[in-house]
Amino acid sequence: MASVALGALIFSSCEKDHAHVHNEHEVMTTLTFTLTAEGADTVALRFIDLDGEGGNEPTITGGTLKANTTYAGSIEILNESNPEDVEDVTLEILEEDEDHQFFFTSTVDGLTLTYTDQDADGKPIGQTNELKTGDAGSGTILVTLLHEPNKSGANVSTGDIANAGGETDIEVTFDVNVE
Amino acid sequence: MLNRLFKLFLLFSAILSVKAQDCTYSIEGSVFDLGTHLPLSDVNIFVTETSNGCCTDERGLFSLYNLCEGEYHIVFSHIGCEPKKFHINLTQDTVLHIDLSHTISSLGIVHLDEQKTGHINQPSLSISKKTIEENLTKNLGGLIENETGVSLLKSGSSLSKPIVHGLFGNRLSIINNGIIQSGQQWGKDHAPEIDPLSSNRITIIKGANAIGYGGGNLGSVILMESKKIAHEPHLHGYVNYAFETNGRGNNLNIQLEKYTPKLAWRINGTLKKYGDKKTSDYYLRNTGVEEANFSIQLEKSWGERFFLNFYGSTFNTNLGVLRGAHIGNLTDLKRGLSRDVPFFTEEDFSYKINAPMQKVAHHLAKLDATYLINEDEELKFIIAAQQNNRKEFDIRRGGRSDLPMLSLLQNTLNTEVKYTRKMKNSWKLTLGNQNIISDNTNNPETKTSPLIPDYISFKGGLFGVASKKKGFLLINMGLRYDIENQNIVAIQNTIPRTSKRFRNNFHNLSAASSFKFDLSKNQSLLFNTGYATRNPGINELFSSGVHQGVSAIEDGNIHLKTEKAFKNTLEYKWVPSTKFSLSALAFHQSFENYIFLKPQNEMKLTIRGAFPYFKYEQTHARIYGFDFSSEITIRNSIQGIIRYSFLRGKDTSNNEPLISLPSNNLFTSLKYQFDRSINLFENVRAEEFEIDINNKTVFKQNNILSTQDYSPAPSTYNLLGLKVSSRLVFPNHYLNCFIKIENLFNTKYREYLNRHRYFADDIGLSATLGLNFKF
Repeated sequence: MASVALGALIFSSCEKDHAHVHNEHEVMTTLTFTLTAEGADTVALRFIDLDGEGGNEPTITGGTLKANTTYAGSIEILNESNPEDVEDVTLEILEEDEDHQFFFTSTVDGLTLTYTDQDADGKPIGQTNELKTGDAGSGTILVTLLHEPNKSGANVSTGDIANAGGETDIEVTFDVNVE
Repeated sequence: MLNRLFKLFLLFSAILSVKAQDCTYSIEGSVFDLGTHLPLSDVNIFVTETSNGCCTDERGLFSLYNLCEGEYHIVFSHIGCEPKKFHINLTQDTVLHIDLSHTISSLGIVHLDEQKTGHINQPSLSISKKTIEENLTKNLGGLIENETGVSLLKSGSSLSKPIVHGLFGNRLSIINNGIIQSGQQWGKDHAPEIDPLSSNRITIIKGANAIGYGGGNLGSVILMESKKIAHEPHLHGYVNYAFETNGRGNNLNIQLEKYTPKLAWRINGTLKKYGDKKTSDYYLRNTGVEEANFSIQLEKSWGERFFLNFYGSTFNTNLGVLRGAHIGNLTDLKRGLSRDVPFFTEEDFSYKINAPMQKVAHHLAKLDATYLINEDEELKFIIAAQQNNRKEFDIRRGGRSDLPMLSLLQNTLNTEVKYTRKMKNSWKLTLGNQNIISDNTNNPETKTSPLIPDYISFKGGLFGVASKKKGFLLINMGLRYDIENQNIVAIQNTIPRTSKRFRNNFHNLSAASSFKFDLSKNQSLLFNTGYATRNPGINELFSSGVHQGVSAIEDGNIHLKTEKAFKNTLEYKWVPSTKFSLSALAFHQSFENYIFLKPQNEMKLTIRGAFPYFKYEQTHARIYGFDFSSEITIRNSIQGIIRYSFLRGKDTSNNEPLISLPSNNLFTSLKYQFDRSINLFENVRAEEFEIDINNKTVFKQNNILSTQDYSPAPSTYNLLGLKVSSRLVFPNHYLNCFIKIENLFNTKYREYLNRHRYFADDIGLSATLGLNFKF
């Protein structure tokens, strides 16, 4: 009976403390792929999902590129889950550049992407890159960021993801037109 | 320490022989089978002090002559039996009557002793201390996986959860020394935090009648029990050591116990270290295990009426998770599926454990008091505290791999009061109350959103069980009511994050009854029927986020209702002699509001790509099957065992199979015991030399649709095992040893219920050398 009484006492008086609501680290909410070229409008391909995985659908903005043009590409990743305290995740990735690599896959005819940056081992990262368009067309560009890929794998340094291993941190697809 | 004990032991033996003067005493007696009450022939009788022995004849009789006055420890053993040790202070000619629980015990007959266990009238099976010790390289799951009706849900080589009759996790209770194990059992990759080596017996109750255990189980229960400390004035114990080639694992388990009229004590400690396991042709990187466990048992009695027991245990483990099974999204999973050898596989063996890994600790302290009011009435109190501390580490960016991705601390308080009364009209009545208070907190160190919220839950249960034996019929009926109050603080998916309070109240009702008919002296029929409800668990209500291992977004559902289950079992048992036994058990369990993860038609798009989306929903379902087992002994030296389990499950509302159910399987074993001892060297002989060949066939799970999984169910596989064991007898002591080879043909296979089957093969050949020294 003592145990019933004890139980009843706790039953009526217990209230869980407030949960710790804190800034989530490591979250990536926003990716902007900025493409600039002389004599062409700057294009910003953007993926925004402020509430993180699950919940509301992300907003994805594609873009229109100029045909037969060479663009300088640069990728910026932010954590905007707390609007008061925006974090630049790009810096974190570049600090661990040996453990990260971007990969690009396009379905647009004649569109190619090449690496223009290197980590300490001379392997590509892909945070900055060069995009060349061919003739007019349309399709998608898939941007993938791998964590701990095998950068020495066959053809990995030229951007072939097949033998890279690692796990995917980012995988977003943008619609693009080439005019 | 051990060396000293050993010397003490030798000295002690020497004193005995010096003291001995009048060596004309005899010990005569008989050995019977506990289950059938038939005499047991060819039982080995071994006197530790003299290293001599004899055998029983066809009538179960034995005699030992020319013994000196003094203290003796006599070991009785029989093929397939758990050896029984007997202490005697010999001062005159003595007659002994010994009951041995024959292997038929594994069919549950050992529970004829109702007073001790109280679960006689439920289909159950037991695993003896001998089996536990010979499997000291295994965790709880590995120890019981070859039993009928039992399977494992694995996450790689070292993480396994037991499944009984298709149910696991929230639906299956594990009772550790009378206390319901309380941790994060909802997780598919959360193995029970228990050291089976500290138990003397593991019992699996497969019935529909677990009224006295509570805890949301829908019928089946796994009991881990320590036996009472024997009334033996000397220090006794054992040292078990095993080395396993696969994983290069070292296992050490030591137990010491002693009885004094003031206080009886027993301590048990285990140390384990394993490195990377190996499949038939490559190492599984980062699959090492480290474990350190300790338990203490204290018993004290005041007179004949009042008994006090304390049990404390601590379980601590570091477990590596296969590096190649750590993936970021569905694309990674598909790339993993297309490979023969997982990513990150290395040429060399390593003991290193890095992220992804789990660090888990579970501590228990329990005090129970029994008061015998009079010959017919008994009162029992239990109070116990548990702490479960689970940290899971993932590969993280920015040097955060040292921070756990999941860090949960759960404190639990259990109380129990139980009153038992034997009535005049041969009814036996048990009334009880059990309360569980759990406080579950996410440690903020993870710097992520928690997978399950913080909560405090209170569970209170009242139950009553009545049983009666009349002639050929044994009846048992029980009723139980539980209330659960959940007080939750959940973090909401808003920008910025906020927290919200929830309060849930659930009522659960269970009712069960069982009838055992003795058809004849050696045949019985046992019918169990039970209804139980289980309220949704915190994870089913509130979990949210990406489930890494299977690359899916899983969302809880706060609208879930209580799950209701109705289970019937019918068991037929035939034990015509000590040499043959047969048990056939059929079961059927139907569920209303069965809670499961339902794949949704949409994919959820995230910055990591599109994920399949699952949500907890409810349906009607049923699980049914049968377990068959039989054992036969031929000419007292050959023993054959056959076990078969069949199981099917169906979502009856949607008319499709239930996923993640065990495949049908067949286990066979053939044992041969040499009846003579073999002289190895001068003064050293091998006794009870035994060879055991066994085979397990796990059939392909055909009962799923191709749309229900990322890859087809693996094919049928066979695993052959071989074990050779013997007792080496030295002039003053003896050593049990065994060599065991599992997966003898180094078969390459994948198991349907191993969640790492998407990435890697299962374990290849493994040989184990085990030594057991008892004193």
